Amino acid sequence: MNLYLKNLCLIAFLLSVFLGSLFGIAQAQDGASPIQNLLQSHFKKLKRSSSKTIGPVIEAIRSSDQPEAKTVLEKWRAKELWYRKSDDLLVFVKTSDKKNYELIDIATGNVIASASKKQIKQIKPNSGVRALIDGALVFFRLGDEDEAVRLSALTSLNRDPKAVYLPIIQAAIAIEKVPELKAKMERMERLLSVQFEADTPKRVAAIESFSDDMGIDVRAALNPLLSSKVKVAMEVPTMLELARIIVPGESLKNDDGTAGIAQYYEWFSGRSPELNMASAYQLLLDAKLAPPDASVEDQKTALIANIKDGRVGGVDVDELNSQEARDRAYRSLVSNGLAPETISNEEKQAVIEEATFYAVYDEKNLAVIAAARKALKSINSKVSINRFFDLFLDAMSLASIYFLAAIGLAITFGVMRVINMAHGEFIMMGAYTGYVVQQLISNYTLSIIVAVPAAFAVTFAAGVVMERLVIRHLYNRPLETLLATFGISICLQQLAKNIFGTQARPLTAPDWLDGALIINEVVSISWIRVAIFVLGAIFFVGLLFVLNKTRFGLETRAVTQNPRMAASMGINIDRINMLTFGLGSGIAGIAGVAIGLFAKVTSELGSDYIVQSFMTVVVGGVGNIWGTLVGATLIGFLQKNIEFFNPSNTLAAQTYMIIFIIIFIQFRPRGIIALKGRAAEV
Amino acid sequence: MASKSFFMRNPSALIFILCLAGFTIAITVFSESVGNGLVSTSFLKTLGKTLCFCLVAIAMDLVWGYCGILSLGHFAFFGLGGYMIGMWLMYARTELIVIKASQALELPLTPQELADGIGTQIFGVVGGAKIPVVWAFADSLPIQLAFVVLVPGLLAAVFGWLAFRSRVTGVYLSILTQAMTLALALYLFQNDSGLRGNNGLSGLQNLPGLEAVAQADISLWFFWGSALALGLGYIVVKLIVESKLGNVIEGIRDDEARVRFLGYNVEAYKLFVFVLSAVIAAIAGALYYPQAGIINPAELAPIASIYLAVWVAIGGRGRIYGAVIGAAFVSLLSSWFTGGQAPDIPLGFYTVKWVDWWLVLLGASFVLVTLYAPKGIGGLFDRFSGGTKP
Amino acid sequence: MTERMLLEVQGISVSFDGFKAINNLSFNIGPAELRAIIGPNGAGKTTFMDIVTGKTRADSGEVLWGSKNVSLLKKSEHEIASLGIGRKFQRPTVFEEQSVADNLMMALRNKRGPLDVLFYKYGDDDQLRVRETAEEIGLKDQIDRRAGELSHGQKQWLEIGMLLAQDPRLLLVDEPAAGMTGQERDHTVKLLKKMAETRAVVVVEHDMEFVRNLECKVTVLHEGAILDEGSLDHVIQNQQVIDVYLGR
Repeated sequence: MNLYLKNLCLIAFLLSVFLGSLFGIAQAQDGASPIQNLLQSHFKKLKRSSSKTIGPVIEAIRSSDQPEAKTVLEKWRAKELWYRKSDDLLVFVKTSDKKNYELIDIATGNVIASASKKQIKQIKPNSGVRALIDGALVFFRLGDEDEAVRLSALTSLNRDPKAVYLPIIQAAIAIEKVPELKAKMERMERLLSVQFEADTPKRVAAIESFSDDMGIDVRAALNPLLSSKVKVAMEVPTMLELARIIVPGESLKNDDGTAGIAQYYEWFSGRSPELNMASAYQLLLDAKLAPPDASVEDQKTALIANIKDGRVGGVDVDELNSQEARDRAYRSLVSNGLAPETISNEEKQAVIEEATFYAVYDEKNLAVIAAARKALKSINSKVSINRFFDLFLDAMSLASIYFLAAIGLAITFGVMRVINMAHGEFIMMGAYTGYVVQQLISNYTLSIIVAVPAAFAVTFAAGVVMERLVIRHLYNRPLETLLATFGISICLQQLAKNIFGTQARPLTAPDWLDGALIINEVVSISWIRVAIFVLGAIFFVGLLFVLNKTRFGLETRAVTQNPRMAASMGINIDRINMLTFGLGSGIAGIAGVAIGLFAKVTSELGSDYIVQSFMTVVVGGVGNIWGTLVGATLIGFLQKNIEFFNPSNTLAAQTYMIIFIIIFIQFRPRGIIALKGRAAEV
Repeated sequence: MASKSFFMRNPSALIFILCLAGFTIAITVFSESVGNGLVSTSFLKTLGKTLCFCLVAIAMDLVWGYCGILSLGHFAFFGLGGYMIGMWLMYARTELIVIKASQALELPLTPQELADGIGTQIFGVVGGAKIPVVWAFADSLPIQLAFVVLVPGLLAAVFGWLAFRSRVTGVYLSILTQAMTLALALYLFQNDSGLRGNNGLSGLQNLPGLEAVAQADISLWFFWGSALALGLGYIVVKLIVESKLGNVIEGIRDDEARVRFLGYNVEAYKLFVFVLSAVIAAIAGALYYPQAGIINPAELAPIASIYLAVWVAIGGRGRIYGAVIGAAFVSLLSSWFTGGQAPDIPLGFYTVKWVDWWLVLLGASFVLVTLYAPKGIGGLFDRFSGGTKP
Repeated sequence: MTERMLLEVQGISVSFDGFKAINNLSFNIGPAELRAIIGPNGAGKTTFMDIVTGKTRADSGEVLWGSKNVSLLKKSEHEIASLGIGRKFQRPTVFEEQSVADNLMMALRNKRGPLDVLFYKYGDDDQLRVRETAEEIGLKDQIDRRAGELSHGQKQWLEIGMLLAQDPRLLLVDEPAAGMTGQERDHTVKLLKKMAETRAVVVVEHDMEFVRNLECKVTVLHEGAILDEGSLDHVIQNQQVIDVYLGR
């Protein structure tokens, strides 16, 4: 028996004195071990256990200071507790043939007798009972020698906090030696204090201690403290626990129970008023503060019930095709006592306006309410700052995806002024290359390492072939290049469909890219996205280097600016065009592998990105890698921000984004980073 | 007198109108409705739809072949035209259904109940019951017919004004038009767009109040309507391109700056042509979708507009009959191949199924046409006739 | 004299990415005057024309037009063209797909609105004017030919013909002699001189011989500003001008 458990037992003993007297536990029975006696005293409930009645029994076992209590609970939970039918003696059993059993004393662990299957019976706790036993076992596990067991006990405690755990966790803290675990336990203690501490100053202190903590469990603990009930009265209420006054059809409910006024942001995000007119009236009805009204349906039923010879209430049935006529007929029914009284909408409105709707906190302790409000407010503001940061990361990630998708295009479209509608299909090709490589190499890490150069090679080759066969013949005819490359795009898409089928193919990320980088409870980002961001950064720096510092880059820029002059300087224009186009296409291939890791690989993969890619290049400014970076960042941030305001609707976000871009181009027709002067007029 | 001299000046227009009239009469004679039934109703619908495609191709040719604006968003206007007429078709028919169903009830419907009934019928599929604001005039055929022209026209005007004003030209403009149709399609895909999200509008082949009329007859009416619209569209566009305006827009196509320095407001001309072309496209769409029976946002996807450019390019741009030939030829061939009627080619080790390979063929031939026959099929005619018009 | 100027350019400047293409330039021309502008490459000759015709916006300064002193700086190209400023580009720009007659007809001084143009009737008067202009530029026999089929020099004349048809009050001509044969040059000089009898003509030219034949006042531009003004014989005596032309 270890030290933790001994100390815990001490606490538990004290508890058991209290609880034992509560549940009237018989403490002794002749000749049997104390634990046997304890169990025997609850035998009836034990035998036919239900989750409704077994609670006190489990509590009694747990809080007994018997050293066997933990084992008994565990065995019981595992359906390994049996009893002998002759004398109800509770035992553990051992059997080799499932016919003859050896009976084992629950206290000593010795074999005390043997019995046949018919002489004994198993106690089978149902799942509800097992859950209760689990709760009780937390007590033991919190004092376990194994750190991992203690940790998992703490976690399970967190899932189902109860008042009884408060002293237990306090005891556990006292003996805990591992600092991290101790800190966690202390946090748990405070969390329990928030909910169950009887002493107000201590409770308030516990609440205040959480004002920096963004944990979901904290908010889950604080929110119930500020729960409120909606009520109605004819005069303005004066009680101190008043949470808010509600204006039906207008005011909103805030997290902390106070009332909010609908503002632009609420309208945009679709938050609706807390109380609509119908439910407000229903509240009045429930409080018997307003006369009953006949709904349109009631009215209809009453009218139909009173139809006589094609007339009802002195009105022809055929004329009842307006609400006004129906009201007239109904009123005449009412005056003849054929239907119950009702009130009109205007009267309803007046009654609602006359009454005061308000909400009262369930919690009556004003100090607790005030502390909880304050803490929640501070937490919420911290959460929103972090949400903003999370949004920022999301936007960065989206921006890097757009950048990856668009950077190849920025080279072919921006540098060479060749518009390649098949760019999206090159991305798709890269993704499929990754898929094929994964079919051949089963190690995911290795396959990705192979797939990246393979995708580059495949799409580089495809780009060069396309440039040689088609685009070369169409320089200076940009619109026709657009059309021809579009034809190629149709071809490639359909070919991919013919080869790989229409269903999505998986491109699995290696394990080390699984999961997410978790910064705190609010901010996290998946490792794949981090990897894409890094890839985008590498591409950016690499391309800047290639285009600005290498001979190839120099020649490319020369060809871009003045092909004739470049040719006369001995630059092989054909070769430069071919390589530039290959480079742009090859990058699209690598982008395809990256995009394939988080998106479905289908033949339509590319067309999902092509318009956004063009937008990125156009917004950023053609002919400039910096421009693409700025364009991708702008579009990524814009889209995420629109989504933030209306998270349910990414389609609308894209619509608004495109409209924004169309308007944006009004003001900067040549993009954010624009070339000026004569160079821009090519 | 004016039209006589017009046809005398433009024999090709006369030939076209005569061919169209002859074709219409022939199809009528063979139709199920009045003739011997050689042309099935479903094929009649296909032909009617093809005529609409020809009309939108003319619109495309006007804006691209003559004015040099490669619009990759013309199906936005085509689709919007379809939506506008579809709203009336769907609303009016549902109204009749709801009223009919109400006759079994004890009380006649109040306007509110009628609206609720229609709303539930139409928008139940997207989880709504209220009639959205955009349907405010859906019960009125004249207003919706006006909308067929006004709504796409307004969209084209706003978009064109923004784009042309900022001197966006060439491929930039093409991409922008593509973005426009993508934005519209994405918007319509939403369930709360008020136009039934991705379900689109359906049942458009049934004309409200004409349930007793057979589809064979309705299809023939629409076929006639489409042929008439195509003929009128042809003449209108021909008149435009043969006028001085035609000279100016061709000038804009060839050298925009020069036209500007001649004192012409290039932006106004582009806008005029763009809006006119959008309106023609919308009319084509309004005739097309009642024959197709259903319209959904996928119809407005950028790819559709690009196919339109493919038709016009294959037919030969800068000549109206070229656009018509391209649209008719490619779209009919397309429906023949993808409809599964084309025989598969067994190669022993592999069977070429046209359903799978048609798009590959189309894409490849499109590349070849762009590379080697920039004037398209129409260019071949010139070669035979010795080239009367550039 | 100044109050009777047709075009007054006052202290305009424009820079591209820090490079001052035009630097505080002032320039006046009367209603019927022939003027040549000369200067080395990059002197700002073309940019000057771009500013006057509205293609480029000036950063500062003022451009005033006509007796009413209309400011041209805020106007768009087509508005400026409609006011009566015609421009001929360095490379001949005619509409090659259209016939000579169509080219001229488009240039004729008529209403320019889209609807006016749509319902325009090619009446007898206009046909006569087109034929007269064609005769003047020596393309009477080519009137129904496609402009693209003309020779380089004929295209130049066609373009000048279009300017004549436009009937501008000020004509800006950018290097008219480039790529012309000697005979064609003489013809061009005659045409320009004749045009200058009734309107202002500004000719930008490299070719000194051609400028000499124009027999007019010469303005020398250098680095976006005026270096000298006067007769050709006068300016080529100027040491600064000689330095600029022979290299710095």
